[in-house]
Amino acid sequence: MSIDWWTLGLQAVNVLVLLWILSRFLFRPVSDIIAARQAAATQDLDAAQATRAEAEAALAAAQEQLAGVAATRAQMLAEARSEADRSRDQLLSEARAEVEKLRTAAQADRLHRQQEASHAMHAEAAELAVDIARRLLDRLPATARVAGFIDGLAEAVARLPERTRAGIGAEGPVPLRAAAEMSGDEADHLRERLARVTGHPVALAVTTDPTLIAGLELDAPHAVVRNHFRADLDRIRQELLKND
Amino acid sequence: MDNPLTLEPLFHAGPVPITAPVLVTWAILIGLALGCRIATRRLSLTPGRLQVVLELFVTVVDDQIRDTMQRPPARYRPLIGTIFLYVLIANWSSLVPGIEPPTARLETDAALALIVFAATVWFGIAAQGLRGYLKTFAEPTWVMIPLNLIEQVSRTLSLVVRLFGNVMSGVFVIGIVLTLAGLLVPIPLMALDLLTGAVQAYIFAVLATVFIGAAVGEHSPSPETAKDLPQ
Repeated sequence: MSIDWWTLGLQAVNVLVLLWILSRFLFRPVSDIIAARQAAATQDLDAAQATRAEAEAALAAAQEQLAGVAATRAQMLAEARSEADRSRDQLLSEARAEVEKLRTAAQADRLHRQQEASHAMHAEAAELAVDIARRLLDRLPATARVAGFIDGLAEAVARLPERTRAGIGAEGPVPLRAAAEMSGDEADHLRERLARVTGHPVALAVTTDPTLIAGLELDAPHAVVRNHFRADLDRIRQELLKND
Repeated sequence: MDNPLTLEPLFHAGPVPITAPVLVTWAILIGLALGCRIATRRLSLTPGRLQVVLELFVTVVDDQIRDTMQRPPARYRPLIGTIFLYVLIANWSSLVPGIEPPTARLETDAALALIVFAATVWFGIAAQGLRGYLKTFAEPTWVMIPLNLIEQVSRTLSLVVRLFGNVMSGVFVIGIVLTLAGLLVPIPLMALDLLTGAVQAYIFAVLATVFIGAAVGEHSPSPETAKDLPQ
């Protein structure tokens, strides 16, 4: 057995040269491209992870915003509902008040109208009654429309205060209105009765006034003494209207 | 048939005799250099089929180194990958008619084993320092120093003998069968020789990895794992 040392040395050199060649042209470029791909993949993964993190953050923000919107919406709905309830209650109360006011006004108006109607009706009835009475009294004879009221006038003057009575006729003829033209007897009888109750003669300025219907009206300086149907009917009418 | 242990020069380059293994190795070297230059000229991030094969090869070598040595493979990748690729192609060169694989010669296997031995020492010193590396010979006790020294030599010799024996015997058997049985009979044996060549290339590369790993530090697996490999 012999070893060719030249061959051994050459083969060792050959393998070392091959080692350098493969290292230079095979292992280094291939491992570099693998590393580059891994770096690119890592970079892509990092970018994807960053994008995913951003997306998750955006999603979380959107969800938070959505929750905020939902809360705001619920709050706004509650406020709107409350406001609507308040407005409805206020409107209802205002409407009720308005209705009540209108109803009260209508009731008052109705009562007023009823009162007016009643008053008018009573007034009309009173006028009618007075008119009926006047028409009926118009049928009385002219003497009955004056003579029957002379005593009553004298009694009314007698009930006046002393001082007022003393003033009647003191300053000249006293205006006297008669429902019908007075006869001389009736005028004398009246002067006599007035002289008795006043204590002094009384001059009269007699005028005829058919509106009195029946009776007399003495217009003294400080008093007006009425004794005629016109005044009675007016008083009755006033009483009737007052009772309404 | 020639004596496999004798080597006749084909020609002389000055005083240097050029033998067949050297010539075949040059051919392999030129072929690999040109092939790698062409194959790696246009590498891209989107690989083609050839680039995929190259990357798969590099990745497998890296994984093997990482699994065996528990270290980053970049520093050891060129040596281990070159040894595997050269031994594999050298073993398979027997398929070419008239070519005898360089690994069937003792000088080639010895050269490879010497390179592995030198790399073991180099990487061991680089990783642990000269003092640290020498200390490993005194582990577990100083009594083991002679045995560890013998182990260094014997495992290098075992590398030589294993590769030489397997490849040379395959070539020898095929030659004998060819002389006895003619054309078709050696084909199964040649196929078996292909398998044997691939397995021997793998074993040689893995053993080199294990030896270097044992030399570089504590994180590497024990050389005992080499016993699990087929001989």
